[in-house]
Amino acid sequence: MTNDRKRSYVIFSIVLLVVLAILFLFPLYWIVTGSVKAKADILIKAGESVRWLPFTDISPTGENYAKLMKSTTELFTLNAFGYKITGPEIPMAMRWLFNSVFISVMAMLLSCITASLAGYVLAKKRFYGRAFIFTLFVCAMALPKQVILIPLLSLASTIGIANSPWAVICPVVGWPFGVFLMKQFSETIPTEMLEAARIDGAGEARTFWSVVMPLIKPGFGALAIFTFINAWNEYPLQLVMLTEQEQKTIALGIAALQSSDSTDYGLIMAGAALAAVPIIIIFLIFQKYFTQGITMGAVKG
Amino acid sequence: MSQSPVLRRRETVVSYLFLLPALFFFVGFVVTPMAMGIVTSFTDAHMGGSKFVFLDNYIKLFQDPVFLKSMLNTVIIVVVAVPVVTVFSLWVGSAIYEMRASARSFFRCVFYLPVVTGSVAVVVVWRWMFHTYNGLFNHVLVGAGILDKGFPFLGDTRTALACVILILFTTSIGQPIVLYVAALGNVDSSMVEAASVDGATRMQIFWKIKWPSIMPTTLYVVVITTINSFQCFALIQLLTSGGPDYATSTVMYYLYDTAFKQYQYGYADAMGVILAIVIALFSALQFKVMNGGTTE
Amino acid sequence: MKKILALLLALAMVFALASCSVEKAPENTGSADPDASGDNQGTEQVEITWWAFPTFGNDTGYEEELIAAFNEVHPEIKINLTIIDFTSGQEQLTAAIEANTAPDLLFDAPGRIIEYGKAGKLVSLDDMFTDEMKADVSEAVQSACSDGTTFWMYPLSSAPFYMGINLEMFQAAGADQYLNLEGDRCWTTEDFENACKALADAGYVPGIVYCGGQGGDQGTRALVSNLYGAHIANDAMTEYTMNSAEGVEAMTLLQEMVNAGYLDVATDMVASQELEMFQTQNCAMTFCWGTSNAISYASEDFTQISVPFPSDDGVPELETLHNGFCVFDNGDDAKAAAAKLFAQFICDDAEWGPKSVVQTGAFPVRASFGNLYEGNEEMELLSSWTQYYADYYNTMDGFATMRVEWWNMLQRVLASGGDPQTELDTYVANSNAALNG
Repeated sequence: MTNDRKRSYVIFSIVLLVVLAILFLFPLYWIVTGSVKAKADILIKAGESVRWLPFTDISPTGENYAKLMKSTTELFTLNAFGYKITGPEIPMAMRWLFNSVFISVMAMLLSCITASLAGYVLAKKRFYGRAFIFTLFVCAMALPKQVILIPLLSLASTIGIANSPWAVICPVVGWPFGVFLMKQFSETIPTEMLEAARIDGAGEARTFWSVVMPLIKPGFGALAIFTFINAWNEYPLQLVMLTEQEQKTIALGIAALQSSDSTDYGLIMAGAALAAVPIIIIFLIFQKYFTQGITMGAVKG
Repeated sequence: MSQSPVLRRRETVVSYLFLLPALFFFVGFVVTPMAMGIVTSFTDAHMGGSKFVFLDNYIKLFQDPVFLKSMLNTVIIVVVAVPVVTVFSLWVGSAIYEMRASARSFFRCVFYLPVVTGSVAVVVVWRWMFHTYNGLFNHVLVGAGILDKGFPFLGDTRTALACVILILFTTSIGQPIVLYVAALGNVDSSMVEAASVDGATRMQIFWKIKWPSIMPTTLYVVVITTINSFQCFALIQLLTSGGPDYATSTVMYYLYDTAFKQYQYGYADAMGVILAIVIALFSALQFKVMNGGTTE
Repeated sequence: MKKILALLLALAMVFALASCSVEKAPENTGSADPDASGDNQGTEQVEITWWAFPTFGNDTGYEEELIAAFNEVHPEIKINLTIIDFTSGQEQLTAAIEANTAPDLLFDAPGRIIEYGKAGKLVSLDDMFTDEMKADVSEAVQSACSDGTTFWMYPLSSAPFYMGINLEMFQAAGADQYLNLEGDRCWTTEDFENACKALADAGYVPGIVYCGGQGGDQGTRALVSNLYGAHIANDAMTEYTMNSAEGVEAMTLLQEMVNAGYLDVATDMVASQELEMFQTQNCAMTFCWGTSNAISYASEDFTQISVPFPSDDGVPELETLHNGFCVFDNGDDAKAAAAKLFAQFICDDAEWGPKSVVQTGAFPVRASFGNLYEGNEEMELLSSWTQYYADYYNTMDGFATMRVEWWNMLQRVLASGGDPQTELDTYVANSNAALNG
């Protein structure tokens, strides 16, 4: 290969990458700038040029955020032992954000616990029914969750968790991908170490705690990230389970803004920014772990 | 690994104790609703009640032009999105792999962002950009004199599905790129060097040396992209509501529409069962290829 | 480090489970027991949920005012309000009904309400239709509130649906010559065609036939049926009949106008988006104008004029909007009673009843309220249009399916170039299948 051809290939690929990167970044740029545009600036009128650039074209305004934060609610309310505990008053949009975070964090924690326990025994124990259970897990994994939406809805109402975050958390935790992932991680545990622990007189719980857990630690990172993003983006389930205003997630909140005020783009963009920016910041901080987790999940899974 | 029956019985008790939490959620919130859905699919369940109709829903499904169209759209999305995502992510992955570490992590990050932000936030902005009267694209195209007046990208049967696939592409390419960059890192670099010293071309190096070691990653990418594409729902619900004339309706969307706008739960559940079978077939096929293709 | 992490996990678990069980408590008991409500004095506390479509206008705060006024009389009834929108509201209602978390009180229109009533999800309101009430409310309204045997909706107000036009655009395009602004504003199909041509020639988007979903679809049905006098259903309301010669003629005309560029079709819009286009002066007319939309989509930048739908004989048949309340059967008599009490307060209270009617911008169903728009010429003109009310088909069986079939039929004919006769036949056949099945 001549150097010329190589150089032109490199230039071509860089140009194409930059174009693609702009395609990917532009919606985010448009969200963030749109959210601080005044109503008069945001609608594109025929014959006028688009207001692209911050500061020169756009004088930032907080009015969209002010409108987004207008209606308020309590952060939480608890009724217990005859007392009603009410959280501090916060904007409805922040409550939606809180709901999203609560659902994702809870699903993440519960998944880590249930999947690591189950993955370990499926990998390392020989017991009656193992093959059957494992097959069941694998078969269910390929199904889209949405297929069971309607029965899930009546199930949730029967056990009284419809319209609560748990109606979203439980099905996400039940999804067997985590078990499958943790089983793959547990298979790397040397059986001799488990034998040694048993000879030392450690019980099953203790063996799991002090031998297995440290060895499958990287798996937790991968699983935690997967579950967090899955729960955060689990839109269909949220859509049918959470109908009360206070229980909505931020994704549902923006979707509702879009359908009730479809041309108040400033307001919609403010909502979208509120949904996107926090998780982007989390992603940028933990970027290394994200890529590690994804890679490991794939290699092991 | 042979065990005595006594030991095995003890192991069984312990194992089920460990499995209990996972089984609780799995049986309670996946297996049970699945069973309920299958049972309901044999009834005419609607808002007022239900009665057993055996296979009527299934027979009706295969005569329902909207269902067949939705199935076709679903297959089109999968068949177009999977190869495009796979090839593109492999190309981007190898292109950025050769760059400096900082550039590599910048691009990896950029392509991963739409995955993180979630489809809802992304879709609301795309929908605005595609808008016939207020959209950015039409403004630019009309301003440049290419179009006389705004073109309804999302409202035209010829372009709507393409728009859906474009957005699906931007939200699914991130993870495969990360995977490919990692997989290329595992390629034995001494072999690559040796081959280029021997005068092998770029293409030869790719196919003979790199491809075998990224093959497992490719299969994994194909499987996850397939499942993601089958699940494409939020995108359609928020972007086009299945229109125009069902041009972007997928089985998943039509199922939702039937259940929540027309209150025909039994019929919708029958669609769910069919979709599950189709996905199971696809996945079984891919798992088979995957197991055959890896030597691990 | 590991231990701390694990401990944190466990703590979070415990906290999560704990917060779960307490959060659930009020939903299950409905806080009907006085214990749950802390410091309240004596009287039996009832908490009900109220879902409302924005029929009192968007963001007006009127609903909160109503609740506050009601609580002065009935402090023991706590009302939780949720405003739902016309685009996704129906799906949310379906989900809530199936999950047994339906609201206690819903502010809606007969289409959905009668459907819920027939499905056994509502509480009968027969006890609210007293002799006094029946004497005060017209037969037509009463029949819209019932499925023939039981009253499911308690009516507040009603109004015709019609079109809205942007007067300045019409004038600029010279299309105002086709309007009949001096008279009762009725116009003919020919006038409408000419006006659209003039508007399109002047570079405006005359109108947008929206068919992306069912929000506000009665507007497009009224447009199609009026053009040549077609009917959605037969007189006995036992059959959908839009595939008549008149219906086909109307769809053919619309198809030609769309193809010629005299009308736009938007398969990605529902009425609310079309109305926003009208409000932001992106199109010269709207097919979903009505008293409450005139409030929600008002604009200071141009003059909005209400006109009836054009018809070949100049005598329109207008769709009616009835606003009213229904009470869901959530298995709790106290809640149902409280919801009825509140509905009655909104509709019948000497002060708030008429106020609520005016807030919906419509006309009272109770004759005893008299003329609430004394001296308002515009409203008196609109009130005269009530003589053009068409037969009310929204309580027919298969209504939900008919609506879905309708906008899909529009898409096939107007956007994909389908044959009007074939597509109308399909629409009618599918709708009738749902009606009879």
